[in-house]
Amino acid sequence: MLTLQILIDGFAISSLYGLAAVGFTLIFGVSGVLNLSHGGIMVVAALVGWATAAEYGFGSYLGAAVGVLAGLGLALVTYFVVVRQIQNSRAIPKEETEIFVLTGTLLWGIMIQEGMAYLFSDNPITMRPLIAGVVNIFGVRTPANEILIAVLCWVVIGLLWLLVNRTGAGKALLAASMNPRGLSLLGFELSRIYLLVWVIYGVLAGVAGVLLATFLGVSSANAGQLTASAFSIVVLGGLGSVSGSLVAAYLVGYLETVTAYLIAPTLRPIPALVLLVLAVYVRPQGLLGRR
Amino acid sequence: MTFEDKSPRSARAMARLLHSRLLWICAVAVIAALTLPLWVSAYLLGVLTAAYYFGIFAMSWDLLFGFAGEVNFGPTFLIGIGAYAAAILNSRYGLSIPLCVLAGAATAIVGGVLLAVPALRLRGPYFGLVTLVAVLLLLNAVVIFAGVTGGEIGMTVPDVLSIDATTNYWIALAALIISAAILFGLSRSTLGLILQASGQDPVGTQALGFNITKHKVAAFCTSAAFSGTAGALLVFYMGTASVDTVVDIAIGVQVIIAAVLGGRRTILGAVLGAVFLILATELLRPLGQLNTFVVAAVALAVILFFPEGLLGYAMHAGERK
Amino acid sequence: MSGPVRLRIRGLAKRFGGLVAVKDIGFDLAAGEILGLIGPNGSGKSTVMKLIMGVERPDSGTIEFAGKDIAGWPAHRIARAGLNMVFQHSRPLHRQTVLEHVKLALLPDSLVRLAAAPHIEERARTIAARVGLADVADRHPSTLPFAALRRLEVAKAIARDPQVMLIDEPFAGLTLAEIGDFSDLIRGFRDEGRAVLLVDHSVKSVAALADRTLAMYLGEKVAEGSTDEVMQNETVRRVYLGGKIEAAERSHVPAETPALLEVEDLSVLYGKAQALDRVGCVVREGEFISIVGLNGAGKTTLFNAISGLVPYSGAVRFEGHDINGRTVGAIARGGVVQCPESRELFTHMSVRENLDLGGQHLPPAARATHLEWLFDLFPILRQRQSQHARTLSGGEQQMLAIARSMMMQPKLLILDEPTLGLAPVILEQLSKAMDRLRSTSITVLLGEQNVTFALPHADRVYVLDHGRITWEGAPGRFAREMGTGYL
Repeated sequence: MLTLQILIDGFAISSLYGLAAVGFTLIFGVSGVLNLSHGGIMVVAALVGWATAAEYGFGSYLGAAVGVLAGLGLALVTYFVVVRQIQNSRAIPKEETEIFVLTGTLLWGIMIQEGMAYLFSDNPITMRPLIAGVVNIFGVRTPANEILIAVLCWVVIGLLWLLVNRTGAGKALLAASMNPRGLSLLGFELSRIYLLVWVIYGVLAGVAGVLLATFLGVSSANAGQLTASAFSIVVLGGLGSVSGSLVAAYLVGYLETVTAYLIAPTLRPIPALVLLVLAVYVRPQGLLGRR
Repeated sequence: MTFEDKSPRSARAMARLLHSRLLWICAVAVIAALTLPLWVSAYLLGVLTAAYYFGIFAMSWDLLFGFAGEVNFGPTFLIGIGAYAAAILNSRYGLSIPLCVLAGAATAIVGGVLLAVPALRLRGPYFGLVTLVAVLLLLNAVVIFAGVTGGEIGMTVPDVLSIDATTNYWIALAALIISAAILFGLSRSTLGLILQASGQDPVGTQALGFNITKHKVAAFCTSAAFSGTAGALLVFYMGTASVDTVVDIAIGVQVIIAAVLGGRRTILGAVLGAVFLILATELLRPLGQLNTFVVAAVALAVILFFPEGLLGYAMHAGERK
Repeated sequence: MSGPVRLRIRGLAKRFGGLVAVKDIGFDLAAGEILGLIGPNGSGKSTVMKLIMGVERPDSGTIEFAGKDIAGWPAHRIARAGLNMVFQHSRPLHRQTVLEHVKLALLPDSLVRLAAAPHIEERARTIAARVGLADVADRHPSTLPFAALRRLEVAKAIARDPQVMLIDEPFAGLTLAEIGDFSDLIRGFRDEGRAVLLVDHSVKSVAALADRTLAMYLGEKVAEGSTDEVMQNETVRRVYLGGKIEAAERSHVPAETPALLEVEDLSVLYGKAQALDRVGCVVREGEFISIVGLNGAGKTTLFNAISGLVPYSGAVRFEGHDINGRTVGAIARGGVVQCPESRELFTHMSVRENLDLGGQHLPPAARATHLEWLFDLFPILRQRQSQHARTLSGGEQQMLAIARSMMMQPKLLILDEPTLGLAPVILEQLSKAMDRLRSTSITVLLGEQNVTFALPHADRVYVLDHGRITWEGAPGRFAREMGTGYL
């Protein structure tokens, strides 16, 4: 019984982690940006979705949609206002662009977090589940919403896979992550490719944020932690590798669930941390990283 | 064929003036700082006291980044080790404050070496990752060994530096001035020259006969010594040690922002950045929750439009094409 | 007059993953002589320097210096032992003066000395004067011209009073006059009794300076001896020129045909270095133009300027329109397609996917027909369709790169050094492919070091040397005039 419960809960949590991590790694792989305001974008999507659904009474579905759009919008603002400014700035030497992008997105993330705290206070909110009710799986009573979340995560990931591997635009994205110069010499405008990847990222982060709100609840104070956990999963899986992030997400998700159920809930983050330390010393490029 | 020095006399004089421009800025700042207790409230003195310790954290970070070229994403690893070592020694073994501070610094140096030696073998973002992971480890260690450290709530120390706000202010200011003098002196010394070269052109510097690993570890240890000392002093100022004040990643983030804001590779700029950050956050408290927002926004604007930092612009405005 | 042997190298070898950079190199370097190391791109000469300096560890071999085997020693230890290198690229510290840079070289490797010993300032000034920087010793590097920065590098190396000096590409980016002065400086070091090892792309400049020369190709020694001997050596000439120069006198494009591409007064600066100096050329519709020049002459820079990858001054007109300022993608879509020297393949994608990306902008039907034509031209690609690009051999990768560029149906195809690092058998295949390309209406601009490959297909030839066009004319004339003087 317990095993089954762990399996199911772990699956749902891992799927959500996976979705959040995939976006983070995609942005790094294609445009080379470690976006430290990642958690902030997820939180905004969640809070706006909740506000639309509950505060303004538009219902869960519309709320979810608006939340995702909010995530997308914020991602684009992040790109144009913060990231692109730094990348195109003449005053910053090329070698230092990375640390400036890191610091810039960090500050932006803080601004988002504090702005949200001001508008929504830092009380955690939960969005009404998209599907009500409980499902009985071999004797384990699981909220139907939890199943839906896992399914939705995989649907989105599946759509992403289709996009990257079966459409021209997606193939161009993949090519950009391997060789941007080669791509531009073939007549592609890199600026449009980067725009596309940030749009996709925005949608991924938005969906992850909204789903998180319906599952575990979200507060503005979570932003930093969400970024940290996405970051650790991505490092574990290999910076820039989407499949690596998914594998790592499940590893971490299950490790955490097992720890919480079998050892102690307070020690939840420990195993993942130990794994991270090992990874950094033994195999810094992560499980499936190629950079 | 030789090269003529085509720069006019005025340019050379200008260079000398710039150097003393820094001197003037420092002199004014120190005098202002010394006279503050005369006309500023105890509350504000307290804010500045914390800001000065922060300034030491930020300067230590700049030595590592601006000079040795290594980005330390977890400065609070070194700060936290120094702080907690001092706190534990004081509350459990009743050692005197000076001894505890020294021990704190020593422990931080040991921590610095343990971190640096394996970390320096990694390149690029992975080095930064290791420093970040070190902080997470410390964070969790403090929580797990709550019996000794007081866990998430923190611990109190029986001794404090002083109850008087002005005395605390003097101590912090003294520590800041001494640290600034030493760190700045180091940065301008031949050792600083070697560190700069190691950071900017490691291969070329090695080919000139310098063992850059040795120098980078030394830079790490120096950064650790100052961070640990300031961390310990901070604990004895506040009377408590907790993860929120000395280990949390958020603190580390503020240290980095302060140094970058003030101006990389200036050492003294880091003090400016730290004071600005802390003062601004406090003074904007009437705005309620928005104060951090405003400070972060201003810092972001500075980074976007004045990447040389506050001091960087003050010093180099007018120089160069 | 050369003295005792200072450096004795035997059996040096190094591989990077699957690539063998240096196979089995051995030579002696004596005091009071300049040994020039020459070889085309990929010959391993820079790697040899890095192995001696300790920047890379050799896989095997011995490097005897000052009575010890220094192979595998860390660079700083080698430097302190009396062997120093003048690097090609260096990043000077912008906040330090020239003098302080030289002082750095004079400092001991100590953690505790915070101030320089009193005589160091004096010595630094003397050294700066030695290399001609006396008057600018107190200036910052960012205010100095490129030639001065090169001298600064020399000053740093000479400050350590080395017995053996390694000099990497000293002439890159210098004007002819500056090269002359620099050569005098290097001769001075030799006359002081130091042993000098010199690596450069400019064979002429090395020839004028070196007492002895060693030619390398694909990681091995192909000739060693006095400079004249090596220059006349058959193998060396073949390696550089590709073989006997023969060309058919032919041009089937009438002179009144409008120009497709016009380059006028093009100059490119890399930082301070003059990479291209007022280059001009014309490519008419339907022509096959070859630009020949050694590595480092500026061919890639020229092509990158045309493609919009580097900023330049001067004018580039395509179909009559000025294309300066357009994005790289726009220029490619406009019909100017470059197949770069580095190929820039999408390594983790299949051959087919690489080709499809090239044909992205074509309607599906046209794309399919074109793909068929290219598979016909390069049958091996059809065979390896589903393989990942990085599993292909060098020659196959080059064919893929060309085919991919062709998928864009370019009006002007720019090929940058397609024969780089390829075996002669593959060159045959490529040459045949070039022939077939000639028979279509495509206009081609080819940049090559291998003259034997470049000449047979060309309507006209330009020679690019040290950033300047030094010769222009028909291939036949080239064979007659430049034949022996080219190297």
